[in-house]
Amino acid sequence: MTKLEILDQLRKTMKDSSPEPIEWDSLSEETTIGSLGFDSLSILDLIYDVQQAFGIDFEAEELVNINTVGELADFLEETLKA
Amino acid sequence: MKKKLRHITEYALLRPLLALIDCLSPRAAELLATVLADIYFSGAARRRGITCDNVRLSGIAKSEVEVRRIAKHSFRHFACLVIDSLKSDKIFTPETWQDHVEMDVDPATMELMKKPGQGVILISGHLGNWEIAAQIISYIKPVVGITRDMNNPYTDKLMKERKPRNNFKLTPKHDADMGRLLTTLKDGHILALLIDQHARKGGMMIDFFGTPASTHTSHAMLHLITKIPLCFGYCVKTGPMQFKFKALPPITAERTGNRNADVKAILKQLTTELESAIRAYPEQYLWAHRRWR
Repeated sequence: MTKLEILDQLRKTMKDSSPEPIEWDSLSEETTIGSLGFDSLSILDLIYDVQQAFGIDFEAEELVNINTVGELADFLEETLKA
Repeated sequence: MKKKLRHITEYALLRPLLALIDCLSPRAAELLATVLADIYFSGAARRRGITCDNVRLSGIAKSEVEVRRIAKHSFRHFACLVIDSLKSDKIFTPETWQDHVEMDVDPATMELMKKPGQGVILISGHLGNWEIAAQIISYIKPVVGITRDMNNPYTDKLMKERKPRNNFKLTPKHDADMGRLLTTLKDGHILALLIDQHARKGGMMIDFFGTPASTHTSHAMLHLITKIPLCFGYCVKTGPMQFKFKALPPITAERTGNRNADVKAILKQLTTELESAIRAYPEQYLWAHRRWR
């Protein structure tokens, strides 16, 4: 998957996971995950949905230092390559 | 100002009480706890009412006499729980703890708990003595639990200073971010969580004794995203400073892609296990806890 495809899939996944109504069209790589309505509990839902959507398993604590959508996309790109 | 005065008064009463508890034998301390619990049960009409209502709603008692008996014993048990937890740091040591505990742990669960580097999510409820349970297990592997600060900051500080240390670490609820909990599991420690805490609006409604109760989903989600084994266990009191720790076989659930269904299945299973344990030891459950809000 290219990074653009990953970002597109992420947008869809996050839209389904987020507990908040968000303006998803304005989502950019710099958007912080926290600003999308994910708190310390709903982030677990997002991790589940990302694992399912991308068909991969990764160690959830690797996401602890990821703050933005772009960083998450980079992480997924690396994981998918591996 | 009124609140501060109340907090200081509570603190002033607690200090000599703790000193007295320290001087008493486990049996004498238990007797004192029972007397104090009976006085409280007679006087605290509102709390007694909540407790009896909860016992009634659970359907666990066959008559009103039994409702009252279970409620009264639940008060006594909770008073003993506090005393036992406070005395445990003097009585439990790495050399002696096994003299006070009968271990009834499924072999597969024990293997996980003993395996170096293996994280475990240990689920329990407000049954028996959950603090002693964590303390016991911490002799096998470090345990991290989540606690809520007491409303009174003075007694909170005092009680925290008194908490047994060993390898049991408490993380304040307001500070329990998921990253820290995930790291705990990654480090091969045991994360101890209670399944029967009211989860307010963010929870999933799961039947508890036939009545829906808002239940935290994080217990199940942590298992689903990390695949770290989930075990249900509890520790009941069998005598003065004597306990039995029971742990069931590990639960392993596969992700199906339907998140809510996966979470619900796990929470239902854990709640069913807790209900069975409560049916076996109804007097040792904290019925005063408002599970169905």
